[in-house]
Amino acid sequence: MSDARQILETAPGDEADVEHEFGGGVMGYTVGLGLAALLTATAFVLPALNLVWPPSLPIALGVLAIAQMGVHVVFFLHVTTGPDNVNNVLALAFGALIVFLIIGGSVWIMHAMNANMMNPAMHM
Amino acid sequence: MLGKLTWDAIPFDQPIPLAAGAVVALAVLAVLIYITVKGWVPYLWREWITSVDHKRIGVMYVALAILMLMRGFIDAVMMRTQQAVAFRSNGYLPPEHFNQIFSAHGTIMIFFGAMPFMIGLMNFVVPLQLGVRDVAFPTLNSVSFWLTASGALLVNLSLVVGEFSRTGWLPFPPLSEMTYSPGVGVDYYCWALQISGVGTVLTGVNFVTTILKIRAPGMTYMRMPIFCWTALAANLLIVAAFPVLTATLAMLLLDRYLGFHFFTNTGGGNMMMFMNLIWAWGHPEVYILILPAFGVFSCVVPTFSGKPVFGYRSMVMATMAICLIAFMVWLHHFFTMGAGGDVNAIFGTMSAIIAVPTGVKIFNWLFTMYGGRVRFTVPMIWSVAFMITFTVGGLTGVLLAVPPADFMLHNSMFLVAHFHNVIVGGTVFGALAGMTYWFPKAFGFRLHEGWGRWSAYFTIAGFYVVFMPLYVVGLEGMTRRLQHYDVGAWRPWMMVSVFGVLLALVGIVLEIVTIYVSIRDRESLRDEVGDPWDGRTLEWSTASPPPEYNFAVLPHVDHEEYYWRIKQAAARSETLPEEPHYVDIEMPRNSATGFVAAFFATVMGFALIWHIWWMVGVAFVGAYATFVAFAWRDHEEHVIPAETVARNDHARRAARAKALKAYSPR
Repeated sequence: MSDARQILETAPGDEADVEHEFGGGVMGYTVGLGLAALLTATAFVLPALNLVWPPSLPIALGVLAIAQMGVHVVFFLHVTTGPDNVNNVLALAFGALIVFLIIGGSVWIMHAMNANMMNPAMHM
Repeated sequence: MLGKLTWDAIPFDQPIPLAAGAVVALAVLAVLIYITVKGWVPYLWREWITSVDHKRIGVMYVALAILMLMRGFIDAVMMRTQQAVAFRSNGYLPPEHFNQIFSAHGTIMIFFGAMPFMIGLMNFVVPLQLGVRDVAFPTLNSVSFWLTASGALLVNLSLVVGEFSRTGWLPFPPLSEMTYSPGVGVDYYCWALQISGVGTVLTGVNFVTTILKIRAPGMTYMRMPIFCWTALAANLLIVAAFPVLTATLAMLLLDRYLGFHFFTNTGGGNMMMFMNLIWAWGHPEVYILILPAFGVFSCVVPTFSGKPVFGYRSMVMATMAICLIAFMVWLHHFFTMGAGGDVNAIFGTMSAIIAVPTGVKIFNWLFTMYGGRVRFTVPMIWSVAFMITFTVGGLTGVLLAVPPADFMLHNSMFLVAHFHNVIVGGTVFGALAGMTYWFPKAFGFRLHEGWGRWSAYFTIAGFYVVFMPLYVVGLEGMTRRLQHYDVGAWRPWMMVSVFGVLLALVGIVLEIVTIYVSIRDRESLRDEVGDPWDGRTLEWSTASPPPEYNFAVLPHVDHEEYYWRIKQAAARSETLPEEPHYVDIEMPRNSATGFVAAFFATVMGFALIWHIWWMVGVAFVGAYATFVAFAWRDHEEHVIPAETVARNDHARRAARAKALKAYSPR
């Protein structure tokens, strides 16, 4: 079977091997799992052990959460900066934009409404 | 044992739903007996029900949509006649029944009429236009369809078993909460939409993947027909917006089933959050409905004007701009809720801005027609009617986007007239244009031109006569969903409107006649060549109906309007392109997964609605077992031998060669 035929005549849904990409294969998943577990464990250990200044804890947890998302995106969703990854990066950007619009919009709308519709007696 | 389900659920005391239900049940039974006696069951099972072929699934989607559009139209007839007679009287529909009718009308028309129609057209057309053999996940596609059908079945079941929601097409709390809607109506609504919603999201995933990942060699983004672009935009919107609907309805269900307080007025709930979330889905939804219709017109207008679409790049830009801005306008559905001047101003401005890319498209279609040799076939009649009607609807929409004006017109008949003006004038006209346009590709013969023309004229006239009076009564202060009224000034307009329903009914009957006559006279309407309209996109390069594998050899697209170019070249040189080398083709095997999973989903939905918990468990295990059985199958594809492919393609080439002699190149 020639190469050209392999590309053209596979059934829809079939795809080429993706072992070579960054974060692919068993090794990639293992590293990802390790990192994800580490970040999760840190999020539980930090507040328990009093290692950091307590008021900064929420920010530290936020940083860990964002790092966790990054690990998932790279190692499990395989969104990298490789040349064949434009679709994935665009999809991620689109998703992030929509999440931002809906959450940001909702917070703004509900906040404005609560401010406007509050019972006047409660402002006192 | 049977939860809340008792004999009281059957409305023995209400003659209208009972009689309607009995007629439908008898009709379904008659059809089932007929196809069993005729011995068609094995054929239907093998070739349609278990089919994973995108073309078959597309046709089934459209068939479901047509059925549901008719059901929704019956509701519309009842509403219009009720309002025509309910002047200083109670009319013939009691309030609780009238409320169910307008709720069912909206729900069915949007979710089970317009949506399946558009998804059906995308299913049929997108892989053909991309020059590929099927969608990315063929079995998933079948699952999507059957889950949609499952939702439609549940909604229609509510006609005879229990009741339907009385809250309108969106279940606004607190009315939809247990306190005010203790019956099963809202549960029917929610579970039907949750089930069909899963199907819709899967469709979105499937088509985004197909369009981004599976295209014919050389089919770069900027060579895709506009319909593929609008399908991509619509499916991106589905993927982004439908999870919001699912989450919102899930929260409402938690309120209703487990005593949560997301949207109640007690316990810290906030029903305004429901408005906010449901419209964060609801506004993208209207663009999910209209974008594929824009794509249809972008195929029909160039074909029948004999010119490439004007301003291809601006068309693509406009499509993607709509896709993004669709997520920035949702507050205009509740300007009056009290978010204040700042918020209203921003969302009002965005709502006016989204009209700009739409306007770009209208001008592009007009300029496509300008200077072209326009053929006024039935799809073209629908397209021209769309351009006029949709512009009127769009302008009233821009008017409603101005918050002060919206405060006067919110929830008035003016609003009702506006959104019917864009949904009927846009989506429904687009659906009918698309159906007429691609019918020969799907079945190998055209729809009868004369009957189709009269059907279009009557439907279009009916639309105007129904909805223009509603603008007037809206401006005179009539609110929507009135079971009866006593303002004399509205009465004459309601009588005009009900006459329009009659015209539209004639249009629909004529459409059925068109289909009947076309099937009867199919030999004289036969499309031998596979290109009955002198088309420009790849779907017209294959036979009508296309073989299972669509293309004997995948096209190598090396230009925009690739098919048009090779057709002109062939016509000039009076020879077909060289015969390709045929090879074996692997196609996915049919699978009952979709049908069986949807069967269990229907049972589960029904059991959840009536609180029959053991049945929920059984159905869930059944659905999961179906998935496991599918995941463990090891024989996934079947091979179509090169000899068969060659034989089919030789027949196609022979017909083309014959047609070439009569064809004059442009």
